[in-house]
Amino acid sequence: MTDGLQFIAFSTVNSVSSGTQLSAPLSTQSAFLLEYLPVVMLFAIGLVISLAFLVMAKIFAPSSPDAEKISTYECGFNSFDDSRMKFDVRFYLVAILFIIFDIEVAFLFPWAVSIDKIGVYGWAVVMIFLFELAVGLAYAWKKGALDWE
Amino acid sequence: MFVEMLPAIAFYILAATAVGMAFMVIASRNPVHSVVFLIGTFLASAGLFVLMGAEFLALLLIMVYVGAVAVLFMFVVMMLDVDFVEMKQGFLQYLPIGGVVACILLAEMILVGAASLVNPGAGVKFAEDGTSNIEAIGNVLYTEYAFFFEAVGLILLLAMVGAIVLTLRKRDGVKTQNISEQIARTREGGVELVDIKPGEGIGS
Amino acid sequence: MIELFGMEWPWLLWKLVQILLFVIVLLVGLAFLLLMDRKVWAAVQLRRGPNVVGPFGLLQSFADFLKFVFKELIIPAGSDKVLFILAPIITLVTAFGVWAVVPAAPGWVISNLNLGVLYILAISSLGVYGIIIGGWASNSKYPFLGALRSTAQMISYEVSIGFILITVLLLVGSLNLTEIVNAQAGGFWNWHALMLDFGDPKSLILFPVMFYMFVLFCISALAETNRPPFDLPEAESELVAGYQVEYSSTAYLLFMIGEYLNIVLMCAMLTVMFLGGWHAPLDVKLSFMPQIPPFFWFAGKVVFMFFLFAMVKAIVPRYRYDQLMRLGWKVFLPSSLVAIVIVSTYVMMFGRTAVGLAGGG
Repeated sequence: MTDGLQFIAFSTVNSVSSGTQLSAPLSTQSAFLLEYLPVVMLFAIGLVISLAFLVMAKIFAPSSPDAEKISTYECGFNSFDDSRMKFDVRFYLVAILFIIFDIEVAFLFPWAVSIDKIGVYGWAVVMIFLFELAVGLAYAWKKGALDWE
Repeated sequence: MFVEMLPAIAFYILAATAVGMAFMVIASRNPVHSVVFLIGTFLASAGLFVLMGAEFLALLLIMVYVGAVAVLFMFVVMMLDVDFVEMKQGFLQYLPIGGVVACILLAEMILVGAASLVNPGAGVKFAEDGTSNIEAIGNVLYTEYAFFFEAVGLILLLAMVGAIVLTLRKRDGVKTQNISEQIARTREGGVELVDIKPGEGIGS
Repeated sequence: MIELFGMEWPWLLWKLVQILLFVIVLLVGLAFLLLMDRKVWAAVQLRRGPNVVGPFGLLQSFADFLKFVFKELIIPAGSDKVLFILAPIITLVTAFGVWAVVPAAPGWVISNLNLGVLYILAISSLGVYGIIIGGWASNSKYPFLGALRSTAQMISYEVSIGFILITVLLLVGSLNLTEIVNAQAGGFWNWHALMLDFGDPKSLILFPVMFYMFVLFCISALAETNRPPFDLPEAESELVAGYQVEYSSTAYLLFMIGEYLNIVLMCAMLTVMFLGGWHAPLDVKLSFMPQIPPFFWFAGKVVFMFFLFAMVKAIVPRYRYDQLMRLGWKVFLPSSLVAIVIVSTYVMMFGRTAVGLAGGG
């Protein structure tokens, strides 16, 4: 368990903890999947902690709801109607623009990793791609889609 | 081996979650609940991608679909004033089309499944030289598939223009701040010194 | 049973202990960072801040925790009860989950994923659902408006964060956070925020670009985590407390811990991406001086960044919403695009700057 000892002993070796310290040698796939096991465990612990907090309040805290207490907060008067309402279409536009730019960012990740292998051609291809993106941005700007009124 | 068994266990849990959630998307009455279940479906499918070794695809699925597309769905569904009883009545009307689409999808899945039975080696391959799949994608996407890549760029551009044309409405009488104008303002243009005689006021 | 599963149980158990240790350190550290936030805020305003519980008020956060636990958990009448409880859970679980790939020292990482950066972007984009679902489920006007604002703000700045991260990835050539840190080894002139390597004059071109990216990331991080001066979702003069209005007791606590975990995560991201992670600013080994363990460098940088964030909170007035959107879409987005062009051109001409890696990517 050298992996564990590193965790305690402030080791400065630039080795990386991973799931390779098992008894039996694993296939590439299993070793790869084993990296994701701690992630699942962390999520599980996070879930347990949040549930524990909520249960704690249920156990220790008093609970005596009355009609006034559980009514919706609205600066002292009763709410007139259902609070879920239509809102400015601009929020949709922001969400749509976000989707588009998010996809563009996603396309740049593999490029950032392999830029030194794909040469000038690959670089130029992405520059054209970025230019297309810039045209879109300029159009949105010109049309005032980025202004908030 | 417990650890070697884990992928199989994880597969059944994730697959069952994905199918169950997908069912709940269409079964739940409240559209916001539907979107929440849809997010669950996406997450379970991302888990299945990880099990297949396609971690880049899995994380992209979360980032783009869960992080962006489902947010838009949420926006639309939360704020739409739709009469859901009325929508339910249209259900039968759309049933034939939906049935046809479902049949096509089912046939495709059966074909893919049959293909993998006939040729078992044709599935996802792990690069044994340690190339992560983001590198593998990067090495071909911008060279071999450059034109498809540019086409994607154009489609995204089109999507952006389309979204702006369809949704942008200018309202009248809106006052906006012009930052550059505000910064470019100088003392000469902004201040006027007036010599006021006592007892006369500033009325001119 | 034991012999059936062979040697795996000790390994799994050990991993679990590591993760638990990590979570406990994170939570306790968070308690003191919260206190520090309040103390800094108080000091700027010439107050004392919390000073009653424990020496210098050190135990204030723990007292607050107990107080939260003993408060009544109110679920509003018109709310969607399941989603109302689910929302804070989503916030906290995702805020914890993101930390899985953050390396605190060599080998001190829960899961050393190849695609660490993408993982952080993906999981932290889930955090927005805690807010949007919480705001909707409350069925109240203020939370609803707060959630809307918050979502629009977070997604706007997520775009520029993505583009800024690309510039760092271009220089390193890997999405693994450990490799990104190791690429900045050797001294502060290799850190991505301060690329002042005078031994290599051509790399000085990068300094203004990357320093600018560092500043942009700092500001985007503030906006992404709804910190002042971008705390419009909870602007108390307009929206009372934003999406948290209807929450009380530990449900509110979950939101708050989640929010602060995200803030500290952004500090950790800044440290890992731009400030050399656990590496010391000067790589000198003096025999008479005890070596400072790498973890303390990492923690020190995180605390320093958090201090800056706390100062900003105390000093800077709140932005207006249209100014916020303008800043994100019209300043940050175009300038990070230009930075990508500059950095990628540099990498094409001179190769990557990464020092700790053999052969780059």
